[in-house]
Amino acid sequence: MTQTGINGAPAKSPPKLPTWLGLLLADKFATVAVIFLCLVAIAALIGPALLDGVASKVAFRGRNLAPFQLDHGWLMILGSDSLGRPILARIIVAAQNTMMIAAFTVVAASCIGAALGLVAGYSRKFLSDAILRLADVIMSFPSLLLAVIVLYMLEPAVGNLVIVLAITRIPVYLRTTRAEVLEIRERMFVQAAKVMGASSWRIAFVHILPMVLPTLLTIATLDFAFVMLAESSLSFLGIGIQPPEVTWGLMVAQGRPYMNQAWWLSFWPGLFIVLTAMSLNLVSNWLRIVLDPTQRWRLEKRRETTNG
Amino acid sequence: MGRFVLKRSLFSLVSLFGLLVLVFFLSRLTGDPAALYLPVDAPQSVRDAFREARGLNDPLISQFGDFLFNLAQFDFGDSLRRQRPAFDVVMEAFPWTLGLAGLTMALVLSGAVVLGALAAIKVGGVFDRISSVISLAAASAPDFWLALMAIFIFAVGLGWVPTSGTGTPWHWILPVAVLFVRPFGLVLQVVRSSMITALSSAYVKTARAKGVKQRAITFVHALRNAMLPVITVAGDQAAGLLNGAVVVESVFGFPGVGKLMIDSILQRDFTVVLAAIMVTSLAIFTMNLLIDLAYALLDPRIRY
Amino acid sequence: MKLSNLAWAMMVSAVAIVPAAAQDNQSVNVVLTEVLDVIEPCMAARSDVGRVVLQNINETLTEYAPAESALKPRLATEWSQIDEDTWEFKLREGVKFHDGSAFDPADIAFSIDRNKNAALGCETGGKYFGGMEFTTEAIDDTTIQITSTPASPILPLLLSVMPIQPESDPADTFTTNPIGTGPYKLVSWDVGQSLVVERNPDYWGEQPVVTGATYVFRTDAAVAAAMVQAGEADIAPNIAVQDATNPDTDFSYPNSEMSALRIDSMLPPFNDRRVREALNLAIDRDAMIGTIFAAGVEKATQQVPPSTIGFNHDLQPWPYDPDRARALLAEAKADGVPVDTEIEMIGRINIYPNATEVMEGIQSMLLDVGFNATLQMYDVGEWNRYFVKPFPEPRAPNLVQVQHDNAKGDPVFTAFVKHHTDGSHSAMSVPEVDDLITRATAASGDERKALWEEMFAKVNDEYIADVPLFYMVGFSRVGPRLDFKPTIATNSELQLAQIGFK
Repeated sequence: MTQTGINGAPAKSPPKLPTWLGLLLADKFATVAVIFLCLVAIAALIGPALLDGVASKVAFRGRNLAPFQLDHGWLMILGSDSLGRPILARIIVAAQNTMMIAAFTVVAASCIGAALGLVAGYSRKFLSDAILRLADVIMSFPSLLLAVIVLYMLEPAVGNLVIVLAITRIPVYLRTTRAEVLEIRERMFVQAAKVMGASSWRIAFVHILPMVLPTLLTIATLDFAFVMLAESSLSFLGIGIQPPEVTWGLMVAQGRPYMNQAWWLSFWPGLFIVLTAMSLNLVSNWLRIVLDPTQRWRLEKRRETTNG
Repeated sequence: MGRFVLKRSLFSLVSLFGLLVLVFFLSRLTGDPAALYLPVDAPQSVRDAFREARGLNDPLISQFGDFLFNLAQFDFGDSLRRQRPAFDVVMEAFPWTLGLAGLTMALVLSGAVVLGALAAIKVGGVFDRISSVISLAAASAPDFWLALMAIFIFAVGLGWVPTSGTGTPWHWILPVAVLFVRPFGLVLQVVRSSMITALSSAYVKTARAKGVKQRAITFVHALRNAMLPVITVAGDQAAGLLNGAVVVESVFGFPGVGKLMIDSILQRDFTVVLAAIMVTSLAIFTMNLLIDLAYALLDPRIRY
Repeated sequence: MKLSNLAWAMMVSAVAIVPAAAQDNQSVNVVLTEVLDVIEPCMAARSDVGRVVLQNINETLTEYAPAESALKPRLATEWSQIDEDTWEFKLREGVKFHDGSAFDPADIAFSIDRNKNAALGCETGGKYFGGMEFTTEAIDDTTIQITSTPASPILPLLLSVMPIQPESDPADTFTTNPIGTGPYKLVSWDVGQSLVVERNPDYWGEQPVVTGATYVFRTDAAVAAAMVQAGEADIAPNIAVQDATNPDTDFSYPNSEMSALRIDSMLPPFNDRRVREALNLAIDRDAMIGTIFAAGVEKATQQVPPSTIGFNHDLQPWPYDPDRARALLAEAKADGVPVDTEIEMIGRINIYPNATEVMEGIQSMLLDVGFNATLQMYDVGEWNRYFVKPFPEPRAPNLVQVQHDNAKGDPVFTAFVKHHTDGSHSAMSVPEVDDLITRATAASGDERKALWEEMFAKVNDEYIADVPLFYMVGFSRVGPRLDFKPTIATNSELQLAQIGFK
């Protein structure tokens, strides 16, 4: 990393660990977001082992209990669902499936999409056209049809759900990356690197990718929420998560018929989806400032004022 | 430019044909339409006779040949379910979808660009924080939730607008408002993100050093460069709307193409699925072409 | 914000005002929860088509009144059996179709042929006339003889499901402009949006009170209910139990549906009667009433509702006895029955309200007594593969979530398909039952009744072919200005002529 910093590529070496913590604490929003994400991660790791029995205990007569009552135990604080199961326990147990599906989908779609987009944007030849038309085809192919086809050809499984969701999300990363590359590759520093004899691969991955990353991260964090909700719309085909397994998206969808008299059924899991997406977005914004030497002073200054 | 459009259109025709072949053969892997069309109590003899009469027993490749032959005469064939020309069925629905998508995206782009740019000027400021929270919540809210809430509050509770249906401009208010929310949140965040990059880049600094006014820098110089990813993401959202806003269409009773496509897929009404995909993908291909042309317009250094 | 500006601009400039339900006229607005994609009369056995077409636009020869368990005259005034396989029908005189042409025996022959046309795939023909051939002979302008092979002792009842269409209808495509003899005629059909009918001034019978109707389609039942509440519609015949919250406007009615789980009794461990009994004893039906099932449902004992001829009143609903279920399982296990085998529960999303919750609830009860049950919920396309023969291989022992509708008063529409070895939904093979079905189908009068009763005793008590759940109810929301009470028939038809005003 010996490049000049004017275009946002890191010039100084990245900050060390204690500094990381300091920089994090300097941004109150990011701190809260990280704490929330840690809680979600803990729930995803140990939730199912801890609460699985409680979360799937059906009690017909205790259905749709309103939230904020403690007479049925602390697990009922968010109310109970249409089969009388505690919503809080279900949200905790569901974190694992939800996070697994969303993370795999978003990571797979963004990596494949970005890689193809870099190639498409950087090569001016036939290859670029072929990749883009492939993206057009994927964009026009209804995800439901894809899901039905996958369901008929393969066994219903969570992995197939990820495949369906990831394929449908590839085009947006691909096209966004390519759009950015088209602009960036004309910039001075890329031209300079080219003149100095850097290979196309090096230019694409070392010089251009870091410039594209912030936009991709923004889309990815928002896609996280989208995937969590979209996943449930496919489970009705029989593909993916099946009861008694549960995800936040499925909880939201199952609350739909009760919106008029038991709003909490879909509200709480929906809130967790929003909070998770928001936390990821805040953390990625913070990370972006930390990694950008032209912006980092904002946090350092804030830290100094709070410390001093 | 002209050569580019021509070449691009040819490429698109090829991929359209590829899509056609793909959908034709893959969709036929998804089960027997006769089993779904006929009543579940229908005996096997009735099923067999129906399959025979509808040509569903012919080899797939000869079915495809027949289909291409008819398509050459602009005939997609009849809808199995409706027993009317599939293309007519789709063209009844498509204008509604186009209307919803167009109106929604126009509002989204104008709203998100202004607010996103304002948010990017002072990163971490109050306005930035508030707009982030709102747009993230908007982008993550389930559409059925918004749609039903909107009906309960504005139509049943307050009586300001009709609950659902079509017929007057009033009927468009709730569906468009609900459709607006998610793309608005997403595009706003992308505008903000890519504006931050643009505002910290060398040419903006140069402009600033030259004494160009802040407002001019933001809305002319930086925005112009930031628009590339923005219109790309907006295009992705528009494609989603063109493929059909299924939930909004079914909740508000809008006879659009999304609901039609879902129903036809679930009913294995292949001719309608094919006709619908051909129409919507033509719209999406055209839109992507326009977006690529817009790249060159926004950034003169990009040439085709 | 821009949106609200635009919204206000649209409100101010809009010429048309929100169409309130017309309070001063005698026309009604009906909101249906399925989008009508065809209005072909031969599809009227499908409830969404039937609600619009049946007895409003197109009429039938006979009409079954479930409340009285009686067959009434409609376009035929009387009928009699000539010999074993032939019936003679006297037709009502002076009946005209909406296009002015006279109703005569040729129209009946045309309608029967149409229903048997394989290329059309008519719902009525496929559902009720499968495996039967008909010949007709016009004796004079108002008399027709109909012969069926095989002979049917209940031919007049069978014909109560077939709307009569004029000969002028297209023979090999669906009509989009149905012409009938009914009290209402079609004015316009705006596909996907609305359908309008108006009173037929030349109707042969009494002129109904309602002058016309506009049907609109909302797939979301909550929205349909909201439309009646907001005064935009007068009646929503089919809303969800969750939305039926207002006792003044919301009525429940038995909808002739019966819910059950079909046991695949051919495969171990379900080929052991004790295991099938344990399944039934493991389910707490009482706890499901008024919670995930509506409060008005009745515990079921057999596949047909109690109003059916040959319903066996001696059969009792299964009690909830998990201890006995565990004991039966232990007993079977001791005899070498593989009771630990994984059993698949195959559910269908939205087969009835709360379908998924029902299956989740039952799964948890089955797990509780020691069954190794897994659950898969499918949409209708995938579910069909498990429901209708040939079943997908390799086959695992399964329980399929089913619902069956027989509002026609005779078990013949149920027994063969559900319980005969060759029935397309049957997962059982008992020669005695097969024999009873064959004999009952050919019998008539008291003998028929006794044979059906014996068959149900065999199937549901001696053999235990399924897990009966409930006789179901549906809900309608009726606007305050209408005088209308939904009945068991509301599930398949909505006769505008039966609606009055307060």
